[in-house]
Amino acid sequence: MDEQDSISWKKLHQKSVSRRNLIRGAAGTAAGAGLLLGSGLRLSALADDDDEENRKKCKAVPRPIPHISTPPGAHFFFPGPVDANPATSPNTGHDPSIITDFSGVIANADLVFSGMGTNLNTGASAKYDFHADMRLMDGIFVGLDSERHRASIGFI
Amino acid sequence: MDSLGATPATPNGSPLGFHSYDPGIAAGSLVLWGTPFPEGSGKVDIDGGTAELLVHNVCLFDAFTVPNSFDPTHALGIFSAIINSMKIEWSGVTRSVLGFKDATNKFRGDFFECSAKIAVSATTPKDTGHGFHFESDPATTHTNFAQFGTEHNGMFF
Repeated sequence: MDEQDSISWKKLHQKSVSRRNLIRGAAGTAAGAGLLLGSGLRLSALADDDDEENRKKCKAVPRPIPHISTPPGAHFFFPGPVDANPATSPNTGHDPSIITDFSGVIANADLVFSGMGTNLNTGASAKYDFHADMRLMDGIFVGLDSERHRASIGFI
Repeated sequence: MDSLGATPATPNGSPLGFHSYDPGIAAGSLVLWGTPFPEGSGKVDIDGGTAELLVHNVCLFDAFTVPNSFDPTHALGIFSAIINSMKIEWSGVTRSVLGFKDATNKFRGDFFECSAKIAVSATTPKDTGHGFHFESDPATTHTNFAQFGTEHNGMFF
């Protein structure tokens, strides 16, 4: 995804929000944005004519790294040192990126943390614990279209 | 980002049930749980020994559990959700792996292991029937593993 794509995506998002008044007031912001997300692939259908050229271009799609960790059977390594021993740690450590043909900077964090959770339907609140594997890949990648793209990609 | 059902703090699991947030697998892509962030969201300062990620309004899914996210039928259901804001700070380098090369996995770079701290809030909309909001306490962050660095893989190896 290059910068132009980012701007276009933002424009589409803003237009679809204003047209349909999906978000009204602060209380509805999170819910509205969440609903928009699930329909993200449909946003392009809401674009104006001035976005015609952008609609002709497909979003840049990166390739995953070749390695598959099983389970769960997906293209990634679990977080750990890059120089982990492949004999004893075949799926943990090594390449922290989830995309290949990438050049840039990375950051990843395997974290456990607590906070306050609230059931929005009942109002009940309690201490809540999460485990997260968060990653950032920021730089250039060559996508499935064989072209170079500048992007900041997260793994959540 | 998935909930911990049973920890020393909540040995019987949270009374608020399970929540697990991820971006899913994009249509037409094999990249797992990846999502584009706005340009400038992340900053890696190699010389300064720090990195930072700050994002707002990241749209994703609440799949309740990791296995349910991987289950193509999503037997437990799956709903749109949002990370309202998230800030992760990396600092305190404890180990540097410089000029590392892995010919098998075709990647190279300089990597700096460190600790990290997260401040995050996330919401599953109320109208899903599974409404949930979480506000983290950054002071509780425990780092299992964290690093930042430069990397070149695949055709850039």
